[in-house]
Amino acid sequence: MTSRWALLVQDVKPDLPRFTFALVSIPLISALGAAQPVLLKRVLDEHLVARQAEGLWTAAGLYLAAVLGSFVIEGLYTVALAVAAESSIYRLRQRLVKHTLGLSQRFFEGQPTGQVLTRATSDVDALSEALSQGSISILLDISNIAAVLIAMAWLNSGMTLALLCLAPPLVAMIEFFRRRMRVLFAEVRDALAALNSFTAERLSGIEVLQLYRQEERTQARFRALDAAHRDANVKNNFYDAALYALIDGISSMCVALMLFWGARQVGLADGAVTVGLVVAFVDYIDRVFRPLREFSGKVTFLQRAGASLEKIGWLLGVEDRITAGSRELPPHSPGRLVLRDVRFAYRPGNDILKGVSFSVEPGEVIAVVGRTGSGKSTLVRLLARVHDGYRGSIEVDGVELRDISPASIRRAIGSVRQEVQLFSDTLRFNLTLGEALDPERLREAVELTNAQVIADRHPDGLDQELRERGANVSAGEGQILALARAMARDPAIVILDEATASVDPLSERLLQEGIERVFARKTCLVIAHRLSTITHADRIVVLEAGEVIEIGTHAELLAKGGAYAALYAEGFENTIRVASK
Amino acid sequence: MPFPNLRRFSGRYIAPRWRWYVAGTLAVLLTNWMAVRIPVELALGLDALRASEVPTVSTAAWHIFALGAAIIVVRTASRLWFFTPARLAEFDLREDLFATLLALQPDFYAKYRTGDLLSRATTDITFARAFAGFATLQGANIIAALATAIGQMTAFSPKLTLLTLVPVTLGFLFVRKGSESLMGLQRDTQRQGGLYADQLLGALQGIATIQAFSVEEPFAERLGERAERLRKNNIALAQLRALVFPLFTVSGGIAIFLLLGFGGEMVLAGELTAGQLAAFLSLIAYLIMPLRLMGFLLPVFQRAEASLERIHALVDAPVRRPERDQPLAAQAAAPAAPPMPALGTPRVGTAVAFAPFQGTVWRSRRRRRLRQTLRGTAREGASVRLASSDFRTFGPICVRSAGAGPRAPSVHIAGLSFTYDAKPTLLDVSLDVPAGSSLGVFGRSGAGKSTLLRVLSRLENPPRGTVFVDGVDITALDLDRWRERMVLVPQAAWLFSETIAENVALGLPASVLPEAVRDAALDPDLASLPDGIQTVVGERGIVLSGGQRQRVALARGLAYGARGTDRLLLFDDVLSAVDHHTEQLLIHTLLGRGASRPTCILVTHRMSALQHCDRVVVLDAGRIVQSGTHTELLAAPGVYKEAWDTQQGSGEVA
Repeated sequence: MTSRWALLVQDVKPDLPRFTFALVSIPLISALGAAQPVLLKRVLDEHLVARQAEGLWTAAGLYLAAVLGSFVIEGLYTVALAVAAESSIYRLRQRLVKHTLGLSQRFFEGQPTGQVLTRATSDVDALSEALSQGSISILLDISNIAAVLIAMAWLNSGMTLALLCLAPPLVAMIEFFRRRMRVLFAEVRDALAALNSFTAERLSGIEVLQLYRQEERTQARFRALDAAHRDANVKNNFYDAALYALIDGISSMCVALMLFWGARQVGLADGAVTVGLVVAFVDYIDRVFRPLREFSGKVTFLQRAGASLEKIGWLLGVEDRITAGSRELPPHSPGRLVLRDVRFAYRPGNDILKGVSFSVEPGEVIAVVGRTGSGKSTLVRLLARVHDGYRGSIEVDGVELRDISPASIRRAIGSVRQEVQLFSDTLRFNLTLGEALDPERLREAVELTNAQVIADRHPDGLDQELRERGANVSAGEGQILALARAMARDPAIVILDEATASVDPLSERLLQEGIERVFARKTCLVIAHRLSTITHADRIVVLEAGEVIEIGTHAELLAKGGAYAALYAEGFENTIRVASK
Repeated sequence: MPFPNLRRFSGRYIAPRWRWYVAGTLAVLLTNWMAVRIPVELALGLDALRASEVPTVSTAAWHIFALGAAIIVVRTASRLWFFTPARLAEFDLREDLFATLLALQPDFYAKYRTGDLLSRATTDITFARAFAGFATLQGANIIAALATAIGQMTAFSPKLTLLTLVPVTLGFLFVRKGSESLMGLQRDTQRQGGLYADQLLGALQGIATIQAFSVEEPFAERLGERAERLRKNNIALAQLRALVFPLFTVSGGIAIFLLLGFGGEMVLAGELTAGQLAAFLSLIAYLIMPLRLMGFLLPVFQRAEASLERIHALVDAPVRRPERDQPLAAQAAAPAAPPMPALGTPRVGTAVAFAPFQGTVWRSRRRRRLRQTLRGTAREGASVRLASSDFRTFGPICVRSAGAGPRAPSVHIAGLSFTYDAKPTLLDVSLDVPAGSSLGVFGRSGAGKSTLLRVLSRLENPPRGTVFVDGVDITALDLDRWRERMVLVPQAAWLFSETIAENVALGLPASVLPEAVRDAALDPDLASLPDGIQTVVGERGIVLSGGQRQRVALARGLAYGARGTDRLLLFDDVLSAVDHHTEQLLIHTLLGRGASRPTCILVTHRMSALQHCDRVVVLDAGRIVQSGTHTELLAAPGVYKEAWDTQQGSGEVA
């Protein structure tokens, strides 16, 4: 428990003065609260029952002063606590985001995005709730109850003891309800989550449901989930209502008990029960019950936060970070790429690349071709530093890839992935990715890659907002943007993984033009899917089952009649026949 | 009258459960009566205690004890009798809303974001329930508590009652204002939280790009700005909370102060007993609680009204089913009389098969008799010997040559123009797809290809008199029956977070799986997955690659397409998910079934597939710019030939 919370120390530390203020004000709040019934009793017993008119208004005013004092000090306490808690949470959020953004791809591939997101949103929210409404306010509740009990005992120890006899069964009862309700609440929560995620998914896929006439089947499944949700709630309602009524009823029964006690004390000199005493005790009982009723809720906050903290701690504890080297490349590095016996496995003992060697000279364009599963994409991922842990050597201008600093890498290699990732922001942001790039260079890159044509299609040009992570951008347009994104950083080497998804003819031409212009300027390594790209390459590397089996120009390889020729014939068999008619 | 939506909701979902609410209201009245009796008994007991009349004290104590015990039972019942019908109403409303959503067509979904719909189906419904349960209970409770408590206070002293009610009322008004801003701020904070989560999700989904470009810093900063806004909002919320409710407690404190002062003077003057003053104090405490809740009640009403308005907007949205709007007879009178199907007019004496008689006008007695004869015999696909050459008067009956069993539909499009998203996407498109033939559709993105398929699947409704299936206007076909005859595999594969088997079969028996899986070339994918066809694909099929998702969707379409031979198959660019070898196999499976082959429309960029189609049309900016067979199109200059040359690598190959 303690070690779990130790995780938060560094986030909480800067707000320690505020937390301390909140802590210090707790006894004051409790004292002022417990004093109010005493002041009430004084008015009743010392002025009204004793028929002492003088000082009546002063005594009443004293009571009012205590109420106002409580209001002020409690307000300060709440605000201090909120500022402290929210600022600590803000720091935790930022720490978590920075940590997470630095984790390796291997980590993200093994984790559903939704789960990582939950750590940084719902789990952090649970902590925030616990910090502002759970942890310290539980201390306040305990302190309040203690102050009330002390005041009660001081006023009339006998009656206090009599009432305290009720405490153990009462606490046992509340605990019973709390446990029962926790189980039921989990049931309700799960039922609701199931219902909502079902609804969300079916609404998103509504066209498919309708096209395949799944309406009735879907409605029936929905009804079952909805009914489970309803029944869980109805059950939960009973315990909720009963607990509320029980506390209400029992506090009334306590009043009866006080009268019984008072009747027993009649005629005794000591510990006589006065009007003021009963009024004060009625007030006290309310002051004990109110936190008791909320106590279970606060404990739940804490428990939930504990569970969340554990999950957050797990995420913060993930050490699978991308490793960054420290060697710099010279500023105008020519862009020579040499691969020597490169091997790589996602799982040990299952090599995807089995000793790949070839080199790309400055300015050269190399196309890599091969069937699905030949290792093409893995090769790109290694070069784009999406994956670490290759064996053998990959040298960029004579420096080992894994030793190069992130800043140098960015200058040296620009990569365009097959599945382009776009962000819900402007076109411009999607190119700069929030970096302050040289505007002139950005403009050049946009022109060069034909991204300007895409921008011109929108009324706001580069400031056009992309909807829902690029939902309004086609696959071809996406690749053009990705190419511009890479070129805006003027890298020495461009790694391009052509999209396999069909690109519409118009974008196809624009993309092709852009690619050709990039080819003319940069050292390029392309995973090619289009014949036109392949024929534009200086040399072609044919991969099969993780090994390079042929290298040469298009004409050479065709003439050789080997694997490339076979691949070529297979892919374009029909079209050749028709075209030659 | 105010709150029209609340009244509508109440009439539909609350009124039928009036017994619950009547019982609940009675229980609430009883609870409050008992709760107010307690201070009265307390006053008697305290005054008796001061006078040392032990038996009276004991009687009062027993009364209070019994009242307390009874309150436990009655209060529990009162809450349940309000909350249970609210849950039942919520259930029914949710059911009805979901049923409406399932029936609503894409024109509706184009207008609303899924997130918006979802929040109406979840959050808004909880507000409706809060009205049905919490608000009705508290409404009854507040009225009962105010009536009984103020009544009893007035019985003790009208002057003191008035005096103490002043600060309490002011406090109440303040809380009402405050809770309004509080709820507004709360909503805004929730929105900020949503935006933060959304941006973080974007960053996590784009993590590979962020890392490849080492832009972790700027992204963290952007998120930091959002987190900072969230922090400020939460602090403002806490400040408002620290002010609003405690101030109400202060107003209660002022009331007690006044009571002690003025009431004290009355006690000293002998107008009031000390016990009564004590009871008065309890009654004020009793009043505070419902008043505090009352501040919440109006916002709950307002919120429920707004939520129900949003829900009713969905429930009332017109379900676009044009075939239901028009009387069947009206259709034949439509201006553009559909021409006869491609088979031409059969001569007298030939056998023809008839589709169901939709939208036909029969006037003369002879025709009526003929119609009766036909009705008797002409089930779908049955053949009748034609007795009259006056064929046109039959109106748009589907005519097919008799012989083979159920035949695939023929499609006839005449002068179809269609506007989508306020942009014309199809302009004067006319084409024929005879039953059992195949049509390839080629064109750049935005040319209107997908729209064409959406119209044929009735995801979009074309203008009347433009699209005919077997000679019958497509908008006159019963949507459910039409969808049974056609299969559309959309460009974007949508999978549910279930197993691949469930996604492919989608309610069909598992026996359809092997063939569909084989035809869609899904076997190698299944072999690479941990649980094969029983692999759960995760949210939106996240476990699978883009190509795999498309192949699963294709398998689903093939499974549905294979259920009968009378299908129209529409494939929207799904071939890009398979390699050339599989594509060729698939084309042969689809197009090579001889007499019983389905009618096929393929949208694709792959010329290797298009060349097997009976006909190809090229769409550009919504118009058909070229049409003919693959060979014909290659012979003429145009988009098709240009694209061919590009795919061929500028003719180097030839």
